[in-house]
Amino acid sequence: MGADGHGGDGGIPPFDRIVADYGALISRIAMSYEADPTLREDLTQQIFLAVWQALPSYRADASLKTFIARVAQNRSISFVTKQVRQPQVTELPEKLEAAEPNPEESAIYSNERRMLLEATRRLPMPQREVIILVLEGFDYSEIAEMLDIAPNALALRLSRAKTALKKMLEHQA
Amino acid sequence: MNDFDLDHLGDVWRQQPDPAELESLMRSAEAVRRRARWGQLVDVASALVVGGVVLFLILLNPERDTLVVGGVAIMFLLFGQYRQRRLRQEELRSLTGTAEEMLDQSIARIEATVRRTRFSLGALPAGFIIGLIFSYFADNPVSGDLMRRLSAGAGLGALILGITALVVIAAAFSLMRTIRRATNELIRLNSLRDAYRAERAQE
Repeated sequence: MGADGHGGDGGIPPFDRIVADYGALISRIAMSYEADPTLREDLTQQIFLAVWQALPSYRADASLKTFIARVAQNRSISFVTKQVRQPQVTELPEKLEAAEPNPEESAIYSNERRMLLEATRRLPMPQREVIILVLEGFDYSEIAEMLDIAPNALALRLSRAKTALKKMLEHQA
Repeated sequence: MNDFDLDHLGDVWRQQPDPAELESLMRSAEAVRRRARWGQLVDVASALVVGGVVLFLILLNPERDTLVVGGVAIMFLLFGQYRQRRLRQEELRSLTGTAEEMLDQSIARIEATVRRTRFSLGALPAGFIIGLIFSYFADNPVSGDLMRRLSAGAGLGALILGITALVVIAAAFSLMRTIRRATNELIRLNSLRDAYRAERAQE
C-alpha cells in the first residue's frame, strides 16, 4: 500500500499517478458542470477528495477511467444541486485553453472548445451526462453500463442530446 | 462550427491542458490528499486519546459512578464512530452508483434532515417552557438552591432568563435557516430527478 493509503496492492495505482493520468478528465468534467472559476476550483478539489475516498472500493470489474468518470460526474451533479443560484456561463480562463503549435489553428480550436463547453453546460443534466461521456471517448456499452440503461435507451438519449447540442452550437455560431 | 461530427468534437474536447494547468491540478490534488490523510489520522488519534483518558479515569477511580459515566462516554464514542462509518458508506454508495441512485439517496437524506430539524424546532419552545416550569417547581437541592440564588441577586434571574431566551431564539432562527436551505435543495433535487424520469419515459 502506498504512503497515501492507496496503491501498490490490489492493482490500484498510487493517487499521484491517478491524478497525472486522469486529472485532465476530472478538470474537463468539473468545467462542464461549473462555469464560475472559483466554484470550479472548489468542485475540482471535491472530486479529488471523492476519488481518494472511493478508491479503496474500486473493483476491476470496470476500467479505472470509468470509475473515476462516474465519481466525478456524481460529485459534480451533487455540487450543482447544492448551489443556490443557477449555473452561470462564463468565458474559459486563458490558462485552460490548450497550447497548440500553430496560433491560428490554436485560436480556432480554442474557440471551438469554448463554444462546445458552453453548449454542453446548457444541456439538461441527463443529456449532458451522456454527451460528456461520449466526448470523453467512452464506448457506448460502457456508457450504458455507467448509466444503468439499455443500449437502445442510450441511443435514444444520445440522439436527443446530439440534436440539442447541435442546435445550441448552431445558435452560438 | 456548423458540421456536427462527434468524433471531431471529441478531439476538440479532449485537448490536454497545458503543463502549467496540469501542474496546478497535481498540486491541488496533493493538498487534498494530504488534508484527507491528516483528517483520518486526527480522527483515529482523538478517538484513541478520549478512549484512553476515560479508561484511565475509570482505573484511577473504580467506583460505580465512574464506571457508569465512563461506560456512557465510551458508548457515545463508539456510536459516533459507527455513525461516521455509516455516513461514509452511504456517501460512497452515492458516489459510485448512477446519478439517479445518488439523487434518490440525497432526497431521502435531506427529507430526513428536514423532518429532524422541524421536530427540533417544535421541541425548542416546548423544552424551554418545560425547563422553566421544572426549575420553579422541582423539589430538589440543586434547583432549589439555584432558584434561591437567582432570586437573591437583583435582576440576575431576569438577565439569565433574557440570555436563555436569546439563545433559544437564535437556535430557532438557525433551525429555520437549515429548513429553508434543505427545502430549496430538495426542490432542485426533485426537479433534477423529474428530468431523469422524463428522459427515461421517452426511452
